[in-house]
This record gives sequence, C-alpha cells and structure tokens, in this order.
Amino acid sequence: MERIDAAQARDHLDLVERILAQSQQRLCSGGEFFVVWGVFSALVTVVLHLVGLGVVPFGAVAVLPAALAACVVFSVLRGRRLRATEGRQSIVQREFFNVLWLTLGLAFVVNAAAYRIFSGMASAAIWSFAEAIVLLYIGMHGNRRAQVAGILVVVSMIVANFTAPQNVAYVLAAGMIVGYAGFGLAELFARD
Amino acid sequence: MDELLLSKIRLGIIAELLTAQWIAFSELQRALDVSQGNLGAHLAKLVDAGYVDEEKSFVNRRPQTRYHLTERGRWAFSDHVTQLQSLLKAGS
Repeated sequence: MERIDAAQARDHLDLVERILAQSQQRLCSGGEFFVVWGVFSALVTVVLHLVGLGVVPFGAVAVLPAALAACVVFSVLRGRRLRATEGRQSIVQREFFNVLWLTLGLAFVVNAAAYRIFSGMASAAIWSFAEAIVLLYIGMHGNRRAQVAGILVVVSMIVANFTAPQNVAYVLAAGMIVGYAGFGLAELFARD
Repeated sequence: MDELLLSKIRLGIIAELLTAQWIAFSELQRALDVSQGNLGAHLAKLVDAGYVDEEKSFVNRRPQTRYHLTERGRWAFSDHVTQLQSLLKAGS
C-alpha cells in the first residue's frame, strides 16, 4: 500500500483548498436575460398604466403578447447556446435556475390566475417582488451588484407605495429598469 | 487512506467535480493543466472505481464528454480528506 507523509498530506490538502476556492464561482447568469425581462416587465407596467389612463388606445395592449413571445424565444435560444458552450455547470448555478423559474413562474401564475386579487398596480408590484427575490438570491452568493440591484427594486416598491397613484407605475417600472435590467447590463460589462 | 486518491491529479479531478453539476473533459483539462492522455487515463480509473460518471453527447455536432461526481466518489473524497487532516494533526 502506498504511503503518504505529513508534508505530502499538507500539499494535497492545499491543492483541494485551492481548487475549492477557485470553483466557488460567483453566481451570475447571462446578463442579457435580466436586460430583456427587466425591460419587458417595465414595458408591461407602463403600457397597461397608459391604457388605463386612456393616454394610449386599448389596441396598444396588442404589443405585449408580441413582446412576450420575442422575450421567450430569445431566452430559449440564448439559453440553449449558453448551455452548449459551457464547460461546466456548478451546483449553485443549477439551484439558482430552480429559484429563478420557481419565482418568476409563480409570479406569472398569480398574475394570470388571481388577477382579481392582484389587479392594476398590485400585478406590477408582484413582478417587482419576484425580481427582488431573484436578485437578492444572487446577492446572497456574494454578488455585490445583485445586492445593490435587489435593494433598488425593493426601494422602488416602497417609494411607489407612498407616491401619487398616477405615478406608481413609473416608479415600479423605474425599479425594474434600473434594478433588474441595470443589473443585467452591469453583468454584461463585467463579463466583457 | 484511499489509494486511488493519493494521486494529486485524481484528487484534483474529484475536488473540481465536488461543486459542479458536471464538467466537460476540455474544461477539466484546462482547469488542471494536464495532457489529454494523462487526464483520460486518470478519469478512466475514477470511472472504473465508480467515483465518477461519464456521459457522452454531441454538442453542435461535436462529441463532448461530461463528468460528474457520484455519491460514492463524494464519500470517498470526504473520508480521504478527513484522513489527510488526521495525519497532519498526528504529525503536529
């Protein structure tokens, strides 16, 4: 049987520690997804608000399903491409995707199935709430930009609560753009 | 002590796989900075021992081999590291 002395044991443990430190990857998924979905959620919020005010005709709502379809197609195609070119997938990354789909999926179901309870701006606030959970989850894994962005989205909800009713949509949309889409942009710049 | 893990390269492979859902062969080679043949030989031993699972697929029409750690490999690694630490404690 092969033997190992204390010096070699120290050497092997150092190797393991070094690899584990390097592989504790900062949790970050393609920034482009955050940009696309942040802009989309802000668009939905503002368009529905303007339609409600009568500023734009009801027909403008038709742009939303088209935008949703474009976002879904982009996400699926981009996601496939990223998976194909990745050399590894970390366990924490897989858990992040579970949290992402669970949170946004639940927000979608609540919006679609409980629209009487969460009508008007409550519907938009649910998206802000879901986006804040996703960002703060990433932030919990050491991403400082996600922490700041998550706090910005939470702040936008609090500010919206104390804003004049006609401005609530703009405040929530600003939170989605600056917090969610802004985080995506920051990640894209950091990656490049 | 686990003789299979006394090799630094095999120990490195397991450590890389520990926090990963899976890692492609090319990524392991880049991370550990070893030759293709050398890495292949060490991986084969780990696969034979049931410490690592191998999955072959095609990505963009090119063959790709991915590896992930099995439960058996995880336990073996944990035991091995505990014994390395015990050895260090005994020596100090």
